[in-house]
Parts: sequence; C-alpha cells; structure tokens
Amino acid sequence: MLKAWIEDRTGLSRVERFLNAKTVPQHRHSFWYYTGSAILLFLSIQVVTGFLLVFYYRPTLGEANASVARIMTEVPLGWIIRSVHSWSASLMIATVFAHLFGIWITKAYRRPRELTWMSGVALLLLALGFGFTGYLLPWDGLSLSATKVGTDIPRSVPVVGAWIARFLRGGEDVTGDTLTRFFGFHVCVLPFLLFALLAVHVALIQKHGMSLPLSVERRGEKVKGLPFWPNFVYREVRVWLVLFGLLVTAAVLFPPSLGKVADLMAPAPVGIKPEWYFLFLFQTLKIFPSRILFVDGDTVAVLLILLGGALFFMLPLLDCSPGGKRGRFFAAAAWGFLFYAVAMTVWSLF
Amino acid sequence: MKLKDTVFHRRRFLNGLLGGGLGAFLASFLYPVLRFVFPPEREPEEVVLPSSEIGDMGPGSVKGFRWGAKPALLKKGKDGSLAAFVAICTHLDCTVRYLPDKAKFHCACHEGWYDENGVNVAGPPPRPLRRLAVSLEGGKVVVRREGAR
Repeated sequence: MLKAWIEDRTGLSRVERFLNAKTVPQHRHSFWYYTGSAILLFLSIQVVTGFLLVFYYRPTLGEANASVARIMTEVPLGWIIRSVHSWSASLMIATVFAHLFGIWITKAYRRPRELTWMSGVALLLLALGFGFTGYLLPWDGLSLSATKVGTDIPRSVPVVGAWIARFLRGGEDVTGDTLTRFFGFHVCVLPFLLFALLAVHVALIQKHGMSLPLSVERRGEKVKGLPFWPNFVYREVRVWLVLFGLLVTAAVLFPPSLGKVADLMAPAPVGIKPEWYFLFLFQTLKIFPSRILFVDGDTVAVLLILLGGALFFMLPLLDCSPGGKRGRFFAAAAWGFLFYAVAMTVWSLF
Repeated sequence: MKLKDTVFHRRRFLNGLLGGGLGAFLASFLYPVLRFVFPPEREPEEVVLPSSEIGDMGPGSVKGFRWGAKPALLKKGKDGSLAAFVAICTHLDCTVRYLPDKAKFHCACHEGWYDENGVNVAGPPPRPLRRLAVSLEGGKVVVRREGAR
C-alpha cells in the first residue's frame, strides 16, 4: 500500500530497476572499481564528523585554538571525533589519488568518459581545498605558517596572482579574517561545490556504465558481469569494514596534535611542512633557484605546476589514441608521475 | 534445510547473525556520536563572593551573581541573614527578578510568583526556586550546592 503510494508520486521503481540491471565487469583490474566507493565512505565520515565538530568549534581569532583544545580534552569522546576527521581526510585524499591513478593506467577516461575524468580532477582540487582550509582551523603555529606559505604561492602567478592571494586571505596578510574566511570555505562554499560536482560525476558514471580496461577490451573476450546489487555492494561493504577498521585504529593510536595558539608576530617554527599530500609540490617549489635568467624562480615553478595541472585535466583529450604508440607514452607517463611524486615526497622528508 | 525439532531455519539464523552484527556495528558508531553531542554539564563546586560585594547590601535587598552558566541571586533578609537562589523560574526557564517592595520573586514570562523564601505562591511555577547554601567564611560569602559540605 505505502509502497504503491510512494511509487505513484515518485516513480522510484525506475531507480530500483536500474540498480537491478547494473553489472560490474569482473577481470584482473576489477580492484580499481572499489576505490570510488571507498572515497564515498571517507567522504561520508568527513560529513558526519564535520557536523559534530562544528557544534563546538569557534572560528575566531580569540577562540579557535581554545575551542579545539576543549574538543580534545573536555567534550566526551571529542578527541576521537577530531582524530577520525583528520585521519579520514588523509585517507580520502590517498584514495582519490589511487582512484585517479587506476583510471589513468587502465585508460578508463577514454571516449566517451572524458568529462567524467575532468569532473574527477575538479573534485580532486576541491578535496585538496578542503585539506588546505581545514589545516588552518586549529589555529596553532604550524597551521598559521602553512597557510601563510600556501596563500603566498598564488602571488607568483603574473597579473592575477596578487589578487587571488588577497581574496584567499581577506586582506594583505593572514589575520583573524583569514581564519573566519577559511572556515566559510571549509564548511559552506566547498561542500556546496563538492556535492554539485559529485552529482554530475556519479550521474556520468551511471550513464556510461563501468569502463573496461583497454587491455581487456582489446582481447575481445566476453567479460563476466557481477550484479551490482547485492553482490558487488556486499563486496564493497567488506572493503569498507577493513578501511573503517584501519581508520579507527590509526585515529586512536595517533591522534593529531594541537600546538600553542598561533601568534601572528612570532617567527615560523623550525621544520614546518604542509600535509603529506602537498609535500611533492612543496619540494618542487623548494628546488627552484631564486632567479632563472631574468624571472623569479618561484614564478617559473608555479607556472610549471599550473601547466602540469592543466595537462592532467586534459589528459583524455591529449591521449586521443589510447591503443597506439602515443597511448603507450601516456601510460608510461602515469608511472613516471607516480615515481616523481613519491621521490619528491621522500626527498622532502630529509 | 530444516532440522527436525528446531525453531530456526539456517537462513534465518544466518540472517540474524549478519543483521545482529551489523546492528552492533552501527551501535558502536552511534555511541560516540551521541556522547559527543551532549557536552558535560559542569556546575561550580562553590562560588566565592568578596565581602566588598555584600558590604553595601541593605536588609531586604538582592545582588546578582553567576552560578556557573546560570544567573543567581543573593538575598539579604530583614534580619540580616543571607540566602541564595538560582534565579531561574521552575516553569519554563525564564530568569526571575526580585521585587523588594513586594518581597517577592517575579517571573515576567508567564506571571509566576514566589515569596521571599523562593516558594512558588502564584501563577504556573510548579516548584520553589532552587536554593543554594550560603556560608560566611573569613569575611567572604561562599555559595555551594545545597547539601554539599
């Protein structure tokens, strides 16, 4: 009765029929299919723990650090909620990297899925934006320095750079206004953008169905499809349980620290580093000399990074014959980029 | 399959096991969330008011002070005795005022009245105002929870 009433008004059975018909191909690279839902798992955890943290967090110069300290010491189980939020952020970004890498090497971005890839790269940028803005919120010495450096980098971009830096900071310098602004980005602007874009991304994935890796497609054999519901979902749940276990274990054993309240006039603490996922960019910026011919080294480095980002975004358009010689070059480039990122990250640690 | 003399089908047993496990898992997730949402209520052990605060109080007058997050009133009786009340109406949490000329506490939200001892005498309040224990220690006024030390 109730079901018929709801069906009459919503037509939900279309969704049900769609889910019943959806299959997930089974082959040697199926492993990569699980990375997408793992991202959604961590994203959901971020949303829930984020809602909770916002109950107690105060985004002002005078109260931010103390309110985080209160969450860590006074609020029941507050320390683990913050720890899970911080760890889940890292794990989500790690999973996003894995997701994109898997798509790159299996060439799942090839026609007709170019826009799925592009929306995915935009989602990566938003995820990094979440990480960057969230890092400032505890308002300790480390987070202040990281934000000063991070918001200064756009200055190296000719013409619009100074304007972008002022927009991000809410003025010439990092101040209490920056904190409140970053809080606004973190809990309002970015979530809206993220969910709008995520809806597009997921809709495109459903439209095209799961992609077959190039190597599997070329062999031309018939590929077994696993029903999405319930078989594949059950398998995903198993993956989620393992990841959730890892997350909570890490969160309990290694909760994030909280430094003394940020002092806007104090010198930068020794050995400051950004979050691990920015380390390869951090090291890239560090190795450039201060002057290259007649321009600033910074400007060259930032422009090269921007160029790299643009190429990454347009990858499906550049890799236009994935099976050909050029396609092999782009497959090798994936491994080359991975090697570069890992090497730079390791280097930055010494 | 159904064994002779059993109340459970195997499928039902397994479903119960899976569902129960899932339920327990969700409960373990919900518990910290619920704990987190409700912060600990901290009532002060005691509030110390310096003697200068009460020196200028005439008989039958009151002085406000903070009892943790709640407003409270210190009242000096006509005989000079001190009494303290949490200044919150027992009806719907409004803050009450003391009217010295009537020698009554008044809640303006719904016309609640308490006599000078904090006993509800008219209007909707269901209970007397909450009393706090007052003692004079070395020239200072110390307010504690009633019944504490």
